[in-house]
Amino acid sequence: MDDAEGPSSRAISISAEDVQRFCEFLYRRTGMSFTEGKRYFIDHRLEDRIAATGSSSFQSYFSLLRADADHEIEHLINSFTVNETYFYREDHQLRCMTSSLLGAIVSRRPLGSTVRIWSIPCSTGEEPYSVALWLMENWPHVDSYNIEIVGSDIDTRALRAAAEGIYGDRALMRLSRGIVDRYFKPVADGKHEIDEGLRDSIQFTRANMIDAQDMANYRDFDLIFCRNVLIYFDDASRRQAAENLYDCLRPGGYICLGHSESMSRISPLFSVRRFPDAIVYQRPEADHG
Amino acid sequence: MPLVKGNRRGSAPGGIATANPPTLESSDPECRWAAARGLAGHAEAVPALSAALVGETVPRVREAIMTALIRIGDTASVEAILPYLRSQNAGLRAAAIEALQAMPSAIAPFIAPLFSDTDSDVRLLATELARNIKASEATPLLCDLIEREQHPNVCAAAIDVLIEVGTPEALPALEKCAVRFAATPFLPFAISMAIARISGAKA
Amino acid sequence: MGDIGATAKARILVADDSSLVRLYYRSTLEKAGFEVEQAINGIEAMEKVLSQRFDLLIVDVNMPRMDGFTFLRSLRCGSNDVAGLPALMISTEAQMQDITEARAAGANFYLVKPVAEAELVRHVCVLTGVPL
Repeated sequence: MDDAEGPSSRAISISAEDVQRFCEFLYRRTGMSFTEGKRYFIDHRLEDRIAATGSSSFQSYFSLLRADADHEIEHLINSFTVNETYFYREDHQLRCMTSSLLGAIVSRRPLGSTVRIWSIPCSTGEEPYSVALWLMENWPHVDSYNIEIVGSDIDTRALRAAAEGIYGDRALMRLSRGIVDRYFKPVADGKHEIDEGLRDSIQFTRANMIDAQDMANYRDFDLIFCRNVLIYFDDASRRQAAENLYDCLRPGGYICLGHSESMSRISPLFSVRRFPDAIVYQRPEADHG
Repeated sequence: MPLVKGNRRGSAPGGIATANPPTLESSDPECRWAAARGLAGHAEAVPALSAALVGETVPRVREAIMTALIRIGDTASVEAILPYLRSQNAGLRAAAIEALQAMPSAIAPFIAPLFSDTDSDVRLLATELARNIKASEATPLLCDLIEREQHPNVCAAAIDVLIEVGTPEALPALEKCAVRFAATPFLPFAISMAIARISGAKA
Repeated sequence: MGDIGATAKARILVADDSSLVRLYYRSTLEKAGFEVEQAINGIEAMEKVLSQRFDLLIVDVNMPRMDGFTFLRSLRCGSNDVAGLPALMISTEAQMQDITEARAAGANFYLVKPVAEAELVRHVCVLTGVPL
């Protein structure tokens, strides 16, 4: 794969020791690790970031990275992960929801009671709508309970788009023809609008995960999808966000992170739970402290 | 359709917030948790948070108290947490160093004195603090430490940080260390890795 | 490193927050024919223990976010098939109280850092039942 990179990035040599240093930092900070066979993956992205930051050497880039200047950690992690949002992304977590989590959630609850699910950040809505679609298509008990789904984000433009519910083909690429036909209707420019009933049944709100006052308005969630955001925060913000999310969950409630995220890099407040389809994290049931 | 447009709060009442205001002195850990969370960023609360930390046995509450102190992030916060580096409890020591690492500018003046602490456990934990400062500042501090240090585990901890931040300035100190610990397990490995890493790193 | 899997004597998880210590244990144990995975703290150790098969855990005491004692206690009181996994605890501390605490947390054996290569291999062989 030959990219048209400028001569400046090619001129910067990165030694094997530099790559080692970088990999150890990346592993410590994010949990991401790469086997020998995947090293080319790193070299390429490292060169990109060095060029993008206008760094004159690996060393000056690494100093910048360690200081997280200009949110470089976020840019770096983004370059390693595919951050495109689409329906049924990381569907193993959705499968875990219906195969394992919901059973536990409703086990001590009467029929007809409420299950509360939160997608934060919800971005342009693919995630909360995916939760809704998946439940209706895959949960045999979906009609036996009231399901409240809330989608929140700090970005009001994204929220407006989410409320509108209009998506292009790419966002729908993982959905079967049948699902698209049942829940979407074609609109202008070859796009698709999600069913009005679905749009009306999801509450979209603006929320800042780091703001405890803001988050105090959210309580009693059984399941929170908090994917691909916590890993970017600095120490103080991460702790604050984790404590906020803890309080937003019911005791025994679950939280799902992004596939390359781990609570080991975020917070000790939650227990690790392993299910056939996914690792999720749980607010302890009784108060163990 | 089983989907119901919810409100954020759910059907539960306000809970603790509407009852008596939570205090740090409560016998209920939930109250202490809520109180600590409510004091985050309130600089005048440092003495109260500091007092609450003494004898707090519930890890989650301790975590919240430390987060509150981190959000304040001043010298008083650092001083409130420093004593726990000497705790007998491994978890508490780890929590303390993690909290201090989250306050890089407030902890900076304390690093050199901590590197000279008479307690080797404190020196060992403190090496982590050099990770979050500029390489040009961390290297001389760590070199100074390893040049004086007799305790192999403290040296090992310092070298673990040097391998990330060390500049070529560190090479002489590492070489001297290699001689001092030639007969000690692990240290020769650690030092030769660090020397190779720093020498191989392009300036 | 990649081909060890097929003929590894046993799979070992090393939990230690020092990259140098992990590297040291890994190179020592791989030379001795073991397959080694890493974790940086007790939370990551728990994730890996629940997701992969291991024959032995090597657990450092002083790790951030979840220390070795907390991890081990949590592992031992779990109701799954990994609760009884053999665990070698390693620490900078050499006091009797630390050894007692390690035993109470469920460690099978306790070593004091810095650990010599031969000492590490010998104890790993004993705890995995692999002949030296």
